[in-house]
Amino acid sequence: MTGIPYTPEEGALVLAGASVLLIVVLLISVWKKMGIGREFVVGLLMGGAQLFGIAVLLTFLFRFDDDVRIWFPPVIVLIGLMAVIGGRRSAKRASGMPGAVRITTPAIIAGAAVSLTALALSRAMPLKPQFIVPLAGMAFGNSMTICSLALDRLVREFEMNRAAIETRLSLGASSKQAMEDLSRRCVRAALIPTIDRLKTLGIIFIPGAMAGLLIAGTDPLVAAEYQLIVYLMIVGGGIVTSLIVAVLSRSRFFNENEQVRDWI
Amino acid sequence: MNIYEIRNVEVALGRKKVLKGIDLDVRKGEIMALVGPSGSGKTTLLRCLNRLIDPDSGSIRFEGKDIRSIDPVELRRSAVLVPQESIMLDGTVENNILYGPRIAGASRKVDVAGCLEDAGLPPRMSGREASRLSGGEKKRVALARALALEPRVLLLDEPTVGVDPRKVDQVERTILQFSERRRLTVVWVTHDVPQAMRVSTRIANLKDGRVREVKETSEFEWEGVY
Repeated sequence: MTGIPYTPEEGALVLAGASVLLIVVLLISVWKKMGIGREFVVGLLMGGAQLFGIAVLLTFLFRFDDDVRIWFPPVIVLIGLMAVIGGRRSAKRASGMPGAVRITTPAIIAGAAVSLTALALSRAMPLKPQFIVPLAGMAFGNSMTICSLALDRLVREFEMNRAAIETRLSLGASSKQAMEDLSRRCVRAALIPTIDRLKTLGIIFIPGAMAGLLIAGTDPLVAAEYQLIVYLMIVGGGIVTSLIVAVLSRSRFFNENEQVRDWI
Repeated sequence: MNIYEIRNVEVALGRKKVLKGIDLDVRKGEIMALVGPSGSGKTTLLRCLNRLIDPDSGSIRFEGKDIRSIDPVELRRSAVLVPQESIMLDGTVENNILYGPRIAGASRKVDVAGCLEDAGLPPRMSGREASRLSGGEKKRVALARALALEPRVLLLDEPTVGVDPRKVDQVERTILQFSERRRLTVVWVTHDVPQAMRVSTRIANLKDGRVREVKETSEFEWEGVY
């Protein structure tokens, strides 16, 4: 096996074919007045442009992967972009919370840093752009998802349980003590999809890294082993992210006088 | 001696000015009733007294000290607010009663049975799941929970709202009894003027964010409240 079963030129034709299918879906959505047509097209164009953009960049980086002075700066910029964009996107989940980006960005960076450091130390991620870029994408993407889930849940649960939290404050609890249960629930809830995915690995879906390795012709056992290593380290980073979100968000819910802030 | 000295306190919630210059003293050991129509600022004033919120201007002194110089957590253990809605924490009645002392790291033994009895509940109730109690029982557990902290002041927000009307006088009597036994100062918010006249030593009448009058209960005439 040699990976993708066609040349780039043939690939363009297949892509055009796949687009026909999308146009059919789009027509159905317009016909059924599902109201997703515009978002669908915008998403498709953005996603497509981003994919091809990163492909061009990776082509350049892979060409110089022996010269760290050439590949290192763009890789750092790319990782920085992942952190900034991930932080901003995730902050949008915190409806109305002022300065949410100052929670999401460090939480995502810390989670992804833990994952990537563990991957590097275990030599699952050799220090070459071919490994760093896709694994960083997975680590930041996973941290961002968990960050969004944790923050969204925290805000909603806080709104719903404000009276209970103020009851605790009235009984002399500090803000940390008043939020303890709620934080724990939200961290757990944010990790449920990741844990569920872990339980169904290989049954309901074959995760991205393993799928890529299989398509590229890697031995399935080696691919599974590698996927598990990557997955566990990424899960570890996700846990770090959710814990940091819980800790940092406290200062957004309470002021320095242990009072619930006005925005909530 | 005054336990609270409230001077020219103003509070805005969002764009609405809720308290518009409150002046009031609460004497040590008294039961001060705050009466007035809905929206007059009673609950907001109560929340200022344990620093769940801080006034935008004016000052509040607690036992002679500016309230802003007192650690809010410490203040809330001395002046415990019992909100109108009696929310039970997870677990048993006993867990609820021990919550305050436990998080305060109290080394003293908490007399759970004594707190329950003071609040008019049988001690055998301590093992029951708090969330399954009736509305009236929850009110009493909320009182017992506050007493477990051995506060100097109780801030009660409509403590008999939602209680079976036939049992309101029992709850009132319970509060009066433990307040006297424990020498508590009580600030009792109620919209029910006859109740204020039954339970308090003095009454402050709030209207539209201002104190209209403060009188000894025996001199208070309630026709002007609404």
